[in-house]
Amino acid sequence: MTVASRPAPARIGLARAALGRAGGYVAVFAVALTITFLLPRALPGGPLRTLGGGEVGDLDPAARAKVVAAYGLDQPLHVQFGRYLRDLIRLDLGESFNGGRPVVEAIREALPWTLLLVGTSVLLTAAVGVLLGVIAGLRRGRGKGNLLLAGVLLFDAAPAFWVGMLCILFFGVHLGVLPTFGVTTAGHTGLAAVGDVASHLVLPVGVLVATGIGQFFLVTRFSVASALHAPHVEHAHARGIPHRRVVARHLLRPALLPVHTQLMMELGWLVGGALVVETVFAYPGLGRLTFDAIQGRDYPTMQGTFLTLTVTVLVMNALADLTYPLLDPRIRARGRS
Amino acid sequence: MRAGRAAGWAGAFLLAALAAVAVVGPWLLGTDGRERVARPYEPPSAERWLGADDLGRDLFDQLVIGARGSLGIALLVALAATAAAALVGGVAGLAPPWAAATLMRIVDLVLALPFLPLLILAAAFLGPGLGVRAAVVAALVWAGPARLVRAGVLAAWSRGHLQAARAMGASAGYLLLRHASPVVAPLLVPVFVRTAMTAIVLDASLAFLGLGDPTIPSWGTMIHWASVRGAMLSDAWLWWALPPGTAIVVTVTALALVGVATEDRLNPTLRKDR
Amino acid sequence: MLTITDLTITYPNGHPAVQDVGFTVGAGEIVALAGETGSGKSTIAKALLGLLPTGSTVTGSARLDDLELAGRTGHDWYGVRGRRIGIVPQGAMTGLNPVRRIGDQLTESVRVHTQASRAAATARAVDLLDQVRLPANTIDAYPHQLSGGQRQRVAIALALAGEPQLVVADEPTTGLDLVTQNHILDLLADLRTKDVGLLLISHDLPALRGVADRIAVMYAGTLVESGPARGAAHHPYTRGLLAAMPSLEQDTPWVSIPGTAPARADLGAGCPFAPRCPWVTASCHTQRPVPAPVGNATVACHHPSDDRPLLFPPAPTSGGGVGSRQAVGPVATLTGVGHVYRSRHRQTVALAGVDLHLWPGEILGVVGESGSGKSTLAQILLGLLRPSAGRVEVAGNDLSLLRGRRLRAIRHQLGFVAQDPYSALHPAMTVAQLVAEPLRIAGTPRHLHAARVTRALELAGLPADLIGRRPDQLSGGQRQRVAIARALAGDPVLLIADEATSMLDVSTRAGIAATLRHLAESTGLAVLFITHDLGEAVQSCDRMVVLHEGVPVQQGGPQDIVGSPRPGYPADLVAAARRYLGAPAVTGSGD
Repeated sequence: MTVASRPAPARIGLARAALGRAGGYVAVFAVALTITFLLPRALPGGPLRTLGGGEVGDLDPAARAKVVAAYGLDQPLHVQFGRYLRDLIRLDLGESFNGGRPVVEAIREALPWTLLLVGTSVLLTAAVGVLLGVIAGLRRGRGKGNLLLAGVLLFDAAPAFWVGMLCILFFGVHLGVLPTFGVTTAGHTGLAAVGDVASHLVLPVGVLVATGIGQFFLVTRFSVASALHAPHVEHAHARGIPHRRVVARHLLRPALLPVHTQLMMELGWLVGGALVVETVFAYPGLGRLTFDAIQGRDYPTMQGTFLTLTVTVLVMNALADLTYPLLDPRIRARGRS
Repeated sequence: MRAGRAAGWAGAFLLAALAAVAVVGPWLLGTDGRERVARPYEPPSAERWLGADDLGRDLFDQLVIGARGSLGIALLVALAATAAAALVGGVAGLAPPWAAATLMRIVDLVLALPFLPLLILAAAFLGPGLGVRAAVVAALVWAGPARLVRAGVLAAWSRGHLQAARAMGASAGYLLLRHASPVVAPLLVPVFVRTAMTAIVLDASLAFLGLGDPTIPSWGTMIHWASVRGAMLSDAWLWWALPPGTAIVVTVTALALVGVATEDRLNPTLRKDR
Repeated sequence: MLTITDLTITYPNGHPAVQDVGFTVGAGEIVALAGETGSGKSTIAKALLGLLPTGSTVTGSARLDDLELAGRTGHDWYGVRGRRIGIVPQGAMTGLNPVRRIGDQLTESVRVHTQASRAAATARAVDLLDQVRLPANTIDAYPHQLSGGQRQRVAIALALAGEPQLVVADEPTTGLDLVTQNHILDLLADLRTKDVGLLLISHDLPALRGVADRIAVMYAGTLVESGPARGAAHHPYTRGLLAAMPSLEQDTPWVSIPGTAPARADLGAGCPFAPRCPWVTASCHTQRPVPAPVGNATVACHHPSDDRPLLFPPAPTSGGGVGSRQAVGPVATLTGVGHVYRSRHRQTVALAGVDLHLWPGEILGVVGESGSGKSTLAQILLGLLRPSAGRVEVAGNDLSLLRGRRLRAIRHQLGFVAQDPYSALHPAMTVAQLVAEPLRIAGTPRHLHAARVTRALELAGLPADLIGRRPDQLSGGQRQRVAIARALAGDPVLLIADEATSMLDVSTRAGIAATLRHLAESTGLAVLFITHDLGEAVQSCDRMVVLHEGVPVQQGGPQDIVGSPRPGYPADLVAAARRYLGAPAVTGSGD
């Protein structure tokens, strides 16, 4: 009987799998570094052309020298890359072309707002999407299930910016009950300030949830409907376990495993994907910072935000990989390939 | 099941109608939607169903012409992304392990890139041409489906009839053509539909952000100008921002209905249900 | 205790799956319900627990003491399932919740049925594991950490958790190797107490005879015979089924029952077995026989007999050795062949030190349990797998020197029949296309196809009028014959049959073996016959190799191996097979 001795090799397998994965993350990170490094150097109309909106010749020599010095453009490429890495390790992402503010500072200010917005939205989206998905999955092919499916597909089809605009119109302009832009109104302190931030969150979060539940809903519905006739579910019924208990304990847990992956993917995606909604609601998050940087050809800020976004996605992926085995004992034993 | 199929057909019918509008509509109107034909901000009338924008251009004409842009980009992106997914997924499913691993790492990489910001960056720097936009969107959305196709190829590979043909001395080409593709090809339908949906919404989002092609009317651009020119502050949103948004919702929902109907039909574990 | 009378079960499609079945299970009794695929035996198990698909109708009666089971719906089943009747469902091994510990699943069943406290339920779970002879620490294991046999024990413990009066076990040994099968059957027999009855459902009649008190045999939805397990068989179907089990003695004939079981829609007024029966008379076609007592048994047959000759066609057995050996030379030669599977985590030795010659006209049996390297051997011969050691020569070519197109050309000279006739045929192709596929792959000129296909079908024993059918319109036996015809179409020098009979019904297996024998003798084809069934190998092969963990542990003629097995695995194998087949069955002989 080898039952007792099994857990030990399982743990080794897990560690090994995690190590293999880590290699993957390093590779992605390296590519992201390279892309951000090349960003100002390779794009048509690099910093020398666009700074000040004119052509190369229009840039006055002093400003031009400043840009060349800022990027070390007079150095060979590998020297530039080395310098870029060295600055990065010191968390020096340069200064914004618009206003000369350190990029790190701007990101430090914007990131928490985005994390607040995205974190709240994804958790709510997952909760609502999974709940509806389970209902629709259990009732697949029947009236209520179909109705739910149709409703969710309709919301899923609506572009977030458009729903956002309509929301501003109704809740902000017509009803006047909710703030429609920014994250705070001046003059609140203490608990009132918390309430103020929360009230600013309602509309953007609402839009992200309404237009985002589709993926969770579909994944859950499909997975639950597929699991209805899984052998272990039928077995549990045959053993006389009451229906509700079969659904809760035998059907849902294995069926919801794919949702976890979806959750982590969505988190990573939305950090950048909230950009449109952040723009609509003038929400001072990372997405808007990125968008403004692109619009203003502000290379240092662009580089900084892209790197931050990639790292966030990677962290989310890593979290998904690390937590998944906790949910699925089979993966715990095998390690992931 | 029957309701699902009916919904699928309803979606297909809607798509066909929209495609007809996109193909024939602009030709029937006889305009490219850019001429000033009315007073700026003119409200709807019997003659001008949706009124005019701030430059006096007919909004109904723009709506009809916008169908062409949206469906066009959907088609281009879906074709390109599905082809890329089939190619990469197929090769990754059949190639020796090291090559497959490398390919899948590339797929992981694309999936880990900040998708929307990159898209905006590319749109901002590469210009608003239809082909460029389609290429950029396709370059970013093929990766997820490629995983799906690879899984399908691997599943097909384990089928008994493919292994039997292999034991008969069949070449890789024969296996792929006669035994693997009938299994994998149906997977591509939902992939096609889903990338088309993504393309429409993404393209509209770009246009809304002001990165669309200003010379060709599109649903996203209409909403962009409605927002910028203050249509939301008056009743004008009713005929300026609402119709193009609704058009997007209808088109994407129609696609979604087709997609869900095919996916449900393809899932063997659901088939014995009822 | 359980009394079933006139039970008729109709599926939503309107055809009766079970017709007028009656039998009893007493307290402390083990009753076996035997029958082949589609005989309706599992349908009865499902009806006893209310697990039939919605829209099925049940008439007649199934009483468990004072409790009527027929005609219950929905919530009426609570308090019956698990509490009064425990079930070990078909495929229970794969039916445990993959993400919950064994202990959780056991205590859940205990608590649902007995309202025990958490602590008491845990104690009871350990107790149940002990009853099925699993150690207490199994409680912390997940299903994937257990072997198939261990999981089946857990399934049995689950069935016992509610302290039921009756336990229904549906195919509890299918998918397990012979040694484990015997262990599970022993366990079930030991679990009998004076209060608990056991209904054992299986296609495996000989195995049932070893443990059951009484046996009921089903055919096409009807009960053809029931009686004491060790008594004589009287129905021609029961007798045929017993004679279809390959014996370890080569001179005991191995028969097959011609034809296949009728579809429910085709059942007429007569005896359902009439079309296949050797004793058939005119009244059999017009009058359904009524169950009537014959000796200790109850038999539904117009002409029951326990000694009348059966006259089913026996499979020809070889005289051993074939004359043409020296003249022609071997078709394939393996010298010191070994193979090691390497993955990132471990190395697995699949084969080691295999030396074999395959001669024209000879059937070479390879016997071993799953994981013994049998299939690896087939893959190596086909050139689909490069062995990590040794030399393989097929039709005069050293396979290690061939690549790409020339390696594939070797496969055109080989025929391969896989285990699963359901997945091995492309579902969208017709029989004609399927059989012609190797010709198309080998590039044989098109105008030759039709004649080759017709000949291959004939050699495989298939009627030519099946040529336009698709696989889903064929029975399992017919499909496997199509696979054989396909393997023969390219005029191979060697046919490799990898467990080609293991998924077929017992009554048709001997027919496949007879076909292979005929082919070997008439066309000089060499056959590599891979099987886990020792009896089958004894009956159909000229020479045998016993594989164990990749090592050929004994090689020789069938009688040598059965008569004087080497100590160790061969001896265990022969002992297990003897036990399985029991004392020589009390049947009529086939002559």
